[in-house]
Amino acid sequence: MSYAYLFKYIIIGDTGVGKSCLLLQFTDKRFQPVHDLTIGVEFGARMITIDGKQIKLQIWDTAGQEAFRSITRSYYRGAAGALLVYDITRRETFNHLTTWLEDARQHSNSNMVIMLIGNKSDLDSRREVKREEGEAFAREHGLVFMETSAKTAANVEEAFINTAKEIYEKIQEGVFDINNEANGIKIGPQHSPTSPGGLAGTGGQGGAQGGGCC
Amino acid sequence: MEYFKSGLKSVLGAPPPGNQPSGADTVERLVDRLQSSSLLDDRRDACRALKALSRTYRLEVGTQAMDALRQVLEMDRTDCEIVGLAMDTLCNITSPETFEAEVENYGPKNKIGEQFTEIFIKQSDSTTQVLAFLEEFDFRVRWPALKLLTHLLGNRPKDIQEIILVSPLGVSKLMDLLSDSREVIRNDALLLLIQLTKGNANIQKIVAFENAFDRIFDVISQEGSADGGIVVQDCLLLMLNLLRGNISNQNFFKEGSYIQRLTPMFDLPPETDENPLSGWSPQKVCNMHCMVQVIRALVAPGGPAQATAACQRTMRACGLLQALCDILMASGVPADVLTETISAVAEVIRGNTSNQEFLASVMAPSSPPRPAIVVLLMSMVNEKQPFVLRCSVLYCFQCFLYKNEVGQTQLIQTLLPQGNEAASLTTGQLLCGGLFSLDPLSNWFSAVALSHALIDNSIQKEQLLRVLLATNIGKPPVTLMQQCVMLLQQGNKTQCKLGLLMLLCRWVSHCPPAVKAFLTIESSVAYLTALLSSQEDTDDLQETLLQSMCALLLGLCVHFNDDSVPNYTKEKLCHLIENRLGLERFQDAIGGITRHEIYSRTLKHPQPSTKDPSDLLLDHEFCRLLKILEGVVVKSVQDGSNPQEGKDPTSTLSPSDSALVSQYKELIREQDAQIHRLNQTNETLAKEKRDLETQVYELQTSISHLRDQNLVLRAAQINLTEAKELVPSVDTIDLTNVELEKYKNTVRDLENRLAECTLNLQKQERTECNSNNSEYEKLLKEKTLELEKMKKDQENLLELLTEQDSKLMQYKEKLVALGEKVNRIRRKFRRTRYRRAARIQQLKYYRRMFNSITGINFRSKMKELFIIHGIISSPFKTIFNQNYLDQSIFY
Ligand SMILES: Nc1nc2c(ncn2[C@@H]2O[C@H](COP(=O)(O)OP(=O)(O)OP(=O)(O)O)[C@@H](O)[C@H]2O)c(=O)[nH]1
Ligand SMILES: [Mg+2]
Repeated sequence: MSYAYLFKYIIIGDTGVGKSCLLLQFTDKRFQPVHDLTIGVEFGARMITIDGKQIKLQIWDTAGQEAFRSITRSYYRGAAGALLVYDITRRETFNHLTTWLEDARQHSNSNMVIMLIGNKSDLDSRREVKREEGEAFAREHGLVFMETSAKTAANVEEAFINTAKEIYEKIQEGVFDINNEANGIKIGPQHSPTSPGGLAGTGGQGGAQGGGCC
Repeated sequence: MEYFKSGLKSVLGAPPPGNQPSGADTVERLVDRLQSSSLLDDRRDACRALKALSRTYRLEVGTQAMDALRQVLEMDRTDCEIVGLAMDTLCNITSPETFEAEVENYGPKNKIGEQFTEIFIKQSDSTTQVLAFLEEFDFRVRWPALKLLTHLLGNRPKDIQEIILVSPLGVSKLMDLLSDSREVIRNDALLLLIQLTKGNANIQKIVAFENAFDRIFDVISQEGSADGGIVVQDCLLLMLNLLRGNISNQNFFKEGSYIQRLTPMFDLPPETDENPLSGWSPQKVCNMHCMVQVIRALVAPGGPAQATAACQRTMRACGLLQALCDILMASGVPADVLTETISAVAEVIRGNTSNQEFLASVMAPSSPPRPAIVVLLMSMVNEKQPFVLRCSVLYCFQCFLYKNEVGQTQLIQTLLPQGNEAASLTTGQLLCGGLFSLDPLSNWFSAVALSHALIDNSIQKEQLLRVLLATNIGKPPVTLMQQCVMLLQQGNKTQCKLGLLMLLCRWVSHCPPAVKAFLTIESSVAYLTALLSSQEDTDDLQETLLQSMCALLLGLCVHFNDDSVPNYTKEKLCHLIENRLGLERFQDAIGGITRHEIYSRTLKHPQPSTKDPSDLLLDHEFCRLLKILEGVVVKSVQDGSNPQEGKDPTSTLSPSDSALVSQYKELIREQDAQIHRLNQTNETLAKEKRDLETQVYELQTSISHLRDQNLVLRAAQINLTEAKELVPSVDTIDLTNVELEKYKNTVRDLENRLAECTLNLQKQERTECNSNNSEYEKLLKEKTLELEKMKKDQENLLELLTEQDSKLMQYKEKLVALGEKVNRIRRKFRRTRYRRAARIQQLKYYRRMFNSITGINFRSKMKELFIIHGIISSPFKTIFNQNYLDQSIFY
C-alpha cells in the first residue's frame, strides 16, 4: 500500500491506563479485557485518510512500568506524535502527567504533537478525574484533549486521527522539516522528497503555498 | 610499581616474566608526565608514547595508565588529538586480540583485554563518555571511539548493552554513524551494531525505530545490492539480528513495506554462455544465503499464525515468491543456494492456500514443460542429488501439502486408475517409484511424502486404498497397501521399513476401512507380533524405533477397529497382544521412541535435517501423531484386555496412570534438581553481595579520607590566596602546616590500611588452614616495621619542617631587606603549589588503582588477596619517600 505520508507515534502513560488496548482497538478493532503487561515496546500500524491522502501511522506502544522508563525515552526523539494517556478512574495516573510531560518535552523534538487522553470513559461510575480537569491541564500545557474508551471504542479513531490532522497541518504550515527523518515523518515512496509544496495536492487546503505542480 | 605488575600477573595466572625494567619504567615516567604536565603538548607527547608502547607493554600501560587516560578523556576532551590518542591506547589495552609480545608470557588465549575492559567499564560514566565522543565529527575522535566501543562490547556484551540502553540517545548515536560518509566509520558501525543487537530484543526494537531498515537498504544499494561485497553481507546480518524471533520488528518490517525492497535483490544474475556459474562469486553465495535467512525469519513455522500469514501474502503479492521460484528453475545455480532457496519457498507457502496454488502452477522450462513440483520430486528420488537438497525438497513438498486439501487430493488422484492413460510423469508416479526403488533413502522420502497427503484427510486415506499396482506381467495387480506390507516383510533396510511404518500408521489412524484393509492382508499382524516378541530390550536406536512403530501400528489397529474382520476384532487383537507380548512389554515398546533424543529434536522443527543420510529416521508429523495418540491407544489395548473393570482392587492405578505418575516423578526430580541449582546460585550470589558490601564499605572509608584531605587542601588554598599577596613567608608556614596535616592524614590512612590488612589476614587465617600462618605473621611484622619506619620518617620530616620554619623566618628577614627578591620567591612558590597538586593527583590515582585491583581480587582466590596486601603498602611508601625527597630538593 502506498502512502503520501508516514507518521511515527508513541503512546505513553502510567501502567494499566489502557495504552495497549487503545492501540489494539485502533489497529484490530478488538478489546482485550486482561491486562497484558507490555514489556519494552510493541509495534502496530494502520492506514488512515486525511484530506483525501493516505497516511500511514506507525505506532509504538511503550511500557508504562517505571522499570522501562529509560527504554521509553529512546523513542521520544523520532516520533511525530504522542498520545499521553491517563485513566479517569485512577487519580494518581492523572497526577503523574506532569512528570510524563517533562520527560516528553525534554527528549522529543519540539514540534512533536501531544494528545492528552483520559481513557476508560465507559467507567463513568468510578470516575476520579473530572473531564474539566483534563481539559484544564491540556489548555495549560498546550495539548489537544480527548476522553476515550478502548472498551467501547468511543473516540479511539478520533484520538489517533486528530493527532494526525494536527501533524498534517503543521506540515502544511511548514513547521515540520519533513526531510529530516528524526522528526518522525516520512514522505511516501512515489512522492518527491524535495518538494513538500507539491504534496498539498489538489485538496482544497488553500493555505499551503505552491499547489500541485504536475 | 613492580608489585602492580606481579599482582595483575598473578590474577592472570601467568608466571612472572623476565624483568623488562626499561619498558615498565618508561611507562611509569610517561604516566607521570601525562598526569602532571601542565602543557598540553607535553601531555600529547606522553599520550602518543603510551599509545606506541601499549601493544608491547599492554599490561604495564593498562595497570598504570588507565586512570590517567580516563582523566584525559575527561579533562582534555576538547582536544581531538589527545583524546584520539588516549582512546587508541585504550583500544589496544582492551583489545580482545592477543598481541605477539604476550603469547610467550601469558599464553595465546589470555584474557588481558577482557580484564582491562572490566576495569574500564567499572566506572560506567567512562563508557558514556566514549559514547559521547561518537558525536564528535573529527575522524581522530569518532573512529577510535567506535573501535573502543567495539572492543568493550566484544569483551563484555551484556554490560555494554545495558549501559547503552540506559544512556540517553545511546542507540541513536550509533545509528547516526551509519550515515557517515566515511566508509570506514559506516562499516565499523555496522559491525558494532551487529554485535550490539545480538540477543537483546529491546535494543533491536530501538534500532529498528531509528530507521535501521532504511539505512541498511540504503547501504545495500550503494554497495551493489546482492552482487556487492562483504558490507552487503554485514547489512544482511544486522537485518537478520533485528528480525529473528522479534515479532514486533517483523511486523514493523512488513508494515514498512521492506519485504518489497528485498524482491529485486533476488533477480538472477545474467547468464553467460561460457560459464554458467560465473555470476555466482563466493561472496554472492554468502549474500544470497543471508537474504534467504531474512525471508525465513519472517515466515518461520512456529511464529504467530496471523503475522506469518500476512508476510506470506505480501511475499506473493510483491513478486518475491515468483523471484524465488525463478531461482529454483534457473540453471547454473549453486547447489547450496538452491537448497536454501527451496527451504525458503517451503516456508513462504506453508499453510497458505494461495501460495501453495502458486507453486503448483509454476512450470519448469524443460521439454516437455513439467510442473516445478514434479521436477523437484524428481530430484528427491534421485540418488545422485546431494542429500541436503533432497531433504529440502521433501520439506518443500511437506509444506506444499500442509493444510492443503486440494493439493493432497490432486496427489492421490494421480495414483488412481482413471482410464485415460496419463502421458506425462505425475507426482504420484514419482512417489510410487521412490517407494519401490532400491535406494532406502528414496523409500523413506517417498513414504513420508505420501503420508503427508493423508494428514487430517480421511477421504484420501480411503481413496488410497483403491490404488492398484501392476506387478509382473501375468500376475494380478496388488493394492498399494499390500505392496507396502510385502516390502516391510522383505529384508529391506531399516530406514525403508521405518518410512513404510510411518506411512501405514498415518494411513490407519482415524480410518477403520484402512485398518480393515491392513488386517486382511495375510501375515500382516503376524509380522508385527513376531517383530515385537523377537527381541527383548535393545539399545539399538533403529531397532527401538522399529519396535515402537510396530507397537503403535498394532495399537492403532485396536483403537480404530470396527470389528469388521472376524479374526482380528478389537477383543481378539487385545488378547493376542496380552498373550504374545504382555501389556507391559507392549507399552514399553510403544513409548520406546519418546525416550530418544531424536524424538524431541524432530518434534521441535518441521524441517527434516540430519547431517548423515542414514540418521534420517523420524518425521516431524509422525512424532506429533505418536504424541497425540500414544495415550489413547495404550488405553484401548488395556481396556480391551481387561474388560471387567476394577477386578484388582490393590492396583488402583491403571498402567497409563502409573505412567503418568512416573512422568510426574520425573518432573519432580527435575524440579528438585533445579531447586538445588537455584539454591546454589543464590548462595554464591549472597556471598558475592557480602563481598561487594565490604568493598563498598572500604571504598566509602577511602572516599571520606580523600574528602578530608580535600577539605584541608581547599582550606589551605583559600588561606594561600588570601595571604600570598601580603606576606609570602607566612603563607609558606601555612603551607608547611598543611603539608604536615596531609602527612598526618597519610599516616592515619596507612594505619587504617594496616588494620584492614590485619583484619583480612585474620579472616584468612580463620578460613584457610594454618599452614601459611607464619608467613602471614612475617608479613604483618614487616608491615608494622614499615609503618614504624614511616612514622620515623614522619618525625624526621617534622624536624625538617621546624628547621624550614626557622629558615623561612630568615628568608622573611632577608626579604624585608631585599624587597626586589620578592618576585622571584613568588615564582618559586607557585611552582611548589603546582608540584603539590600533582602529588595529590598521584595519590588519588594510587588509591583508585588500589581499589580497582582489590575489586578484581575480591572475586578471585584468597591467595591472591595476600599478594595484593603486598601491593598496597608499597606505592604509599614510595609516595611518602618521594614527597620527602621533593621537599628536601626544594629547600
Ligand atoms: N473498562 C475499560 N477497561 C479498559 C479500558 N482500556 C483498558 N482497559 C483495561 O485496563 C487494563 C490495562 O490495559 P492495558 O492496555 O494493558 O494497559 P497499558 O497502559 O498498556 O499498561 P502497560 O503495558 O503496563 O503500560 C486491562 O485490563 C484493560 O482491559 C477502557 O477503555 N475501559
Ligand atoms: Mg501495554
